[in-house]
Amino acid sequence: MSAFGRIQNLDRRIIFLTVAAAVILPLFFPFRLPVAVTAPVQQLYDVIEGLPAGSVVLISMDYDPSGAPELDPATLSIMRHCFSRDLRVFVMGLWATGVPLGMRALETVAVGEYHKQYGVHFVNFGYIPGGAIALVNLGADVHDVCREDVYGTPASEIPMMEDIKSAADFGLVISMSMGVPGSDQWIYYYHARYRGNLATAQTAIGAPKYYPYLQTGQLVGLIGGMKGAAEYERLVGNYGLATVGMDSQSSAHVLIILFVVLGNVIFWMEKRRKK
Amino acid sequence: MRLKIPLAIIFVMGIFSIVTHFIPAKPIADLNQTLRNWYIGIISFFIFLGTVNLARSNSEKIKTKARDWQYSIILIISLFVMLVAGFYKGHTSMEEGKPFMYLYFNVQYPLESTMYSLLAFFITSAAFRAFRARNKEAVLLLVAAVVVMLGRVPIGAAMWHGFPDVTEWIMSFPNAAAKRGIRLGIDLGLISMALRMILGIERSYMQ
Repeated sequence: MSAFGRIQNLDRRIIFLTVAAAVILPLFFPFRLPVAVTAPVQQLYDVIEGLPAGSVVLISMDYDPSGAPELDPATLSIMRHCFSRDLRVFVMGLWATGVPLGMRALETVAVGEYHKQYGVHFVNFGYIPGGAIALVNLGADVHDVCREDVYGTPASEIPMMEDIKSAADFGLVISMSMGVPGSDQWIYYYHARYRGNLATAQTAIGAPKYYPYLQTGQLVGLIGGMKGAAEYERLVGNYGLATVGMDSQSSAHVLIILFVVLGNVIFWMEKRRKK
Repeated sequence: MRLKIPLAIIFVMGIFSIVTHFIPAKPIADLNQTLRNWYIGIISFFIFLGTVNLARSNSEKIKTKARDWQYSIILIISLFVMLVAGFYKGHTSMEEGKPFMYLYFNVQYPLESTMYSLLAFFITSAAFRAFRARNKEAVLLLVAAVVVMLGRVPIGAAMWHGFPDVTEWIMSFPNAAAKRGIRLGIDLGLISMALRMILGIERSYMQ
């Protein structure tokens, strides 16, 4: 086998090791490059900035722990932004496995950092079954879908719920989403009927799908993956895990590009040699 | 009769759903709301059905010593432990520090995150072996991929300040145009499939 052939058939464990090094080393030796803010993230930030104090922001936890490294930083940053502007936060989720993520985020930001009061400044209704149909019902009558919160308290006994009756009472809806049910259902079944401001935060792999909806105005903002979350952290001025992760992501992307280039150089060399 | 009754139910419910979208009058809207609540109830029951099915199929695997049956034991034990932890003390099981939350954040969370992040390793290996500039279209895809990968990380902007802007342009125009076309195709397919089901032409779901 030629030298090129041997490189082409490189043991994949070597590739895995270099990827691991590219991800881990920057965590210990960060190069802290500045994160440029893109328009879709800036748009979402501006919408939240424009909401009057006391407005209700619905955050739908439509992801599970597999998407948490990308979406948790965005959730935390958005919550920080909302509470810093005295907005009220209504949390629910179309994924049962996303409920504890929402609870921990509220515990960290609402209680730990901003000392907000449950039931007055924020509320958590946990998992809402039914996907698309639940969203159709939610927009028409919130109390019909959210009858008791995640702790079993009836909605009628929660002070914040007195002002929330239907879709018109939400200043902004943000779907933190990584699949189905998620942003698709919010766009097709909720926004199509009830309008209002709708935004989404997506894993990097899912974000490209939502650009058409930004252009049509169906989405007022889009946070794509950890990079989007890092941009939001910069806007909010609270640098967290997404910003830290940017160095690892930078080196991993460069490594993948180098591997692709190397693979192509070998491919063309082999082709010429065979001719 | 066993064929005609389900077909009649699908026809009536399908037509009714379309009609309610155009006639939001009170009695029709209320009936629609009731039907939607039934749907949510049925969906909730599916969670129970899915759990029973998962337990049954994995018990069967253990019984017959099918391939990788050892993993089924771990699954059954995990399922049982999480169920008990979740039901234990009702709603308070969701409070920080309780067994359910402890297991969720110390077992499920790292396991799922790790599984998803393994993608990075396989993508790199696959890109090295398979991402080849064999023709003009592949070159175009390769160049777009490299630009987007650099434009989506800070190091790209440090190399050339134009990378993020070019990336946003690729996302907003060529990408959006392709996605829009795909979406329209999917939706037209969905509409035709829905019509086929309502009219009883498509019956494969009953098999």
